[in-house]
Amino acid sequence: MCYPSFRCNLKDNNNTKELMSQKLIIQLVLIITAIILIVQSTYIVKETEQVVITQFGKPIGEAKVTPGLKLKMPFVQKTNYFEKRYLAWDGDPNQVPTKDKKFIFVDCYARWQIVDPLQFFKRLTNERGAQSRLDDILDGETRDYIANHNLEEIVRTSNRVPIPSGSIGEEVGDTLMNIMVGREKIQDMILESANNKVKDLGIALLDFRVKRINYVEDVRTQVYERMKSERYRIADKFRAEGQGEASKINGEKERDLKTIQSVAFRQAEEIMGKADARATAIYAGAYNQSAASRNLYSFVKSMETFEQTFDSTTTVILSTKSELYKYLINLE
Amino acid sequence: MPIFENNLKLIYMANSIIDMLDLPPEWKKILPNLWKYLVIIAMIVFFWISFFQVGPEEVGVITRFGKYVREVEPGLNFKMPLVESIVRVPVERQQKEEFGFRTLSAGVQSKFTKSGTTDESLMLTGDLNLADVEWVVQYRVDDPYSFLFKVRDPVGSLRDISEAAMRKIVGNRTVNEVLTVGRTEVATQVFEEIQEVSNEYSLGIKIEQVVLQDVNPPDPVKDAFNAVNQAQQEKETLINQAKSEYNKVIPKASGQAEETIQKAEGYATQRVNNAMGEATRFSALYNEYVKAPEVTKRRIYLETMNSAIPKLGHKIITDEKGNNVLPLLQMQLKGQ
Repeated sequence: MCYPSFRCNLKDNNNTKELMSQKLIIQLVLIITAIILIVQSTYIVKETEQVVITQFGKPIGEAKVTPGLKLKMPFVQKTNYFEKRYLAWDGDPNQVPTKDKKFIFVDCYARWQIVDPLQFFKRLTNERGAQSRLDDILDGETRDYIANHNLEEIVRTSNRVPIPSGSIGEEVGDTLMNIMVGREKIQDMILESANNKVKDLGIALLDFRVKRINYVEDVRTQVYERMKSERYRIADKFRAEGQGEASKINGEKERDLKTIQSVAFRQAEEIMGKADARATAIYAGAYNQSAASRNLYSFVKSMETFEQTFDSTTTVILSTKSELYKYLINLE
Repeated sequence: MPIFENNLKLIYMANSIIDMLDLPPEWKKILPNLWKYLVIIAMIVFFWISFFQVGPEEVGVITRFGKYVREVEPGLNFKMPLVESIVRVPVERQQKEEFGFRTLSAGVQSKFTKSGTTDESLMLTGDLNLADVEWVVQYRVDDPYSFLFKVRDPVGSLRDISEAAMRKIVGNRTVNEVLTVGRTEVATQVFEEIQEVSNEYSLGIKIEQVVLQDVNPPDPVKDAFNAVNQAQQEKETLINQAKSEYNKVIPKASGQAEETIQKAEGYATQRVNNAMGEATRFSALYNEYVKAPEVTKRRIYLETMNSAIPKLGHKIITDEKGNNVLPLLQMQLKGQ
């Protein structure tokens, strides 16, 4: 192709102008067509995606799982994008009875992945379809396994020995019932069983876990009542223990008091008794030497008694025959 | 020179378009230079989309046609325009997720709310009681590749993992353990559990810390739990009061007992000494008495009378014939 120079372009006549604009339109059309062709024959796979190519709706070749810029046949081939990352499944809180007839809400979650996009595309079409199938499968499995186990088995994981928590724990009993299976194993069983069911759907479950377990409203109230009565029982016990202990100390106090007082009394009496005995012996030793000494003692004692008992209120009638006044009558 | 030729072609095309349009003459003057302006604008746009900034706490993850190619450090960076795109991931920033409560506004006096989070915090303990546990998980993105490309909604996953882990650990403990002695252990075990499961899920997250906030019995039973503590205090008080009463009475009684005994000792000493004194005195008297019994006896008698009779109020001396006046005298004495 030959293009007229810039200079001669300026001098173009109308005919040449007409010709040029026609050429221009053709060129524009060509460029636009080329762009459309490029867009139609390439596609981008992001890190987080995988792509299934369909030709008139029929899947062609393997799924494209590596990221980057890819080629396809324009117009006839269509790209279908699928997520490559782990995806969430979050179950609705399910009201389920356990084997021991306790009504609980179980809220589970799972992580899953599209491992075979082709199969996934055929069986489930899109994520919404997959979520709905997972709802059916996992809810069902959860129900089955929980209905087959006691509540403890779902709450607990292992038979560990709890740490004693002091005086309150002694009252409630810091012990845990022994379990046979445990939460982890039940989760694993649900996961395995569900994985078997989703195998031909082109997806795989990475993990399944029980997120929340709680009693249904009625049962919760009952549990609260039980917890309350348990605590009040402990409180009453503590109070009674306190009163008991206080009474005991009070009793000890009385006992010790009486012991101390009586021992002191006894000792004092003994001491005084011994002293009395000794004094008696001493007196006897002195007064009991002979008939004369006995006589003297009674005489002296009488004299002392007179001296001590006579006072101004005493009236004594003495006869002149008495030793004292016998000389009052005559000097004989 | 094909490029030059191309340029000429473009300019020519542009001019042709201008010629075709029916524009005012002033515009026609500017428009032939339009390509110059276009080039300048194109260059600005090129630089604008090629250079970008990465903040100090971030790394930039570059993908080319959707494929991960490299990570870039903080600072000014270059990427190929149109084919490469960048996502910034704050790897240095510590982030946190709250469970059982929400911070409304953080500050010197942070405000918290608990509304709507009861389901998160209420959980069953191993002895089938209920406990209300609030906690915080602090984490950092340590593998931007996994964080962006391995899991959809990694933070949501982290929340699910945390809740499941906390319930697993609490579910294996008694309510007393969770409320009192087991707090630290619960936090450590939950920390380990979350990290392990996060790795399993390839979240690209590193758990920095799990902090237990308030761990309480559920609201309806709080009073009952408090009553236990109160009763425990009461018990202590009662015992202490009794002990204090004991300590007040017993030492006093011991002292009084000692006093009684000492007094008895005193009495004993006095009694014996008195006896000895009196005995000695009597013996001495007796020794002399036996030498002249009659006269000594009489002397003592008379001496005693001598000192005793003057003290008497009434002294009546009669002889044996006067005995009949005695009844009269008695009456007189009574009448006084």
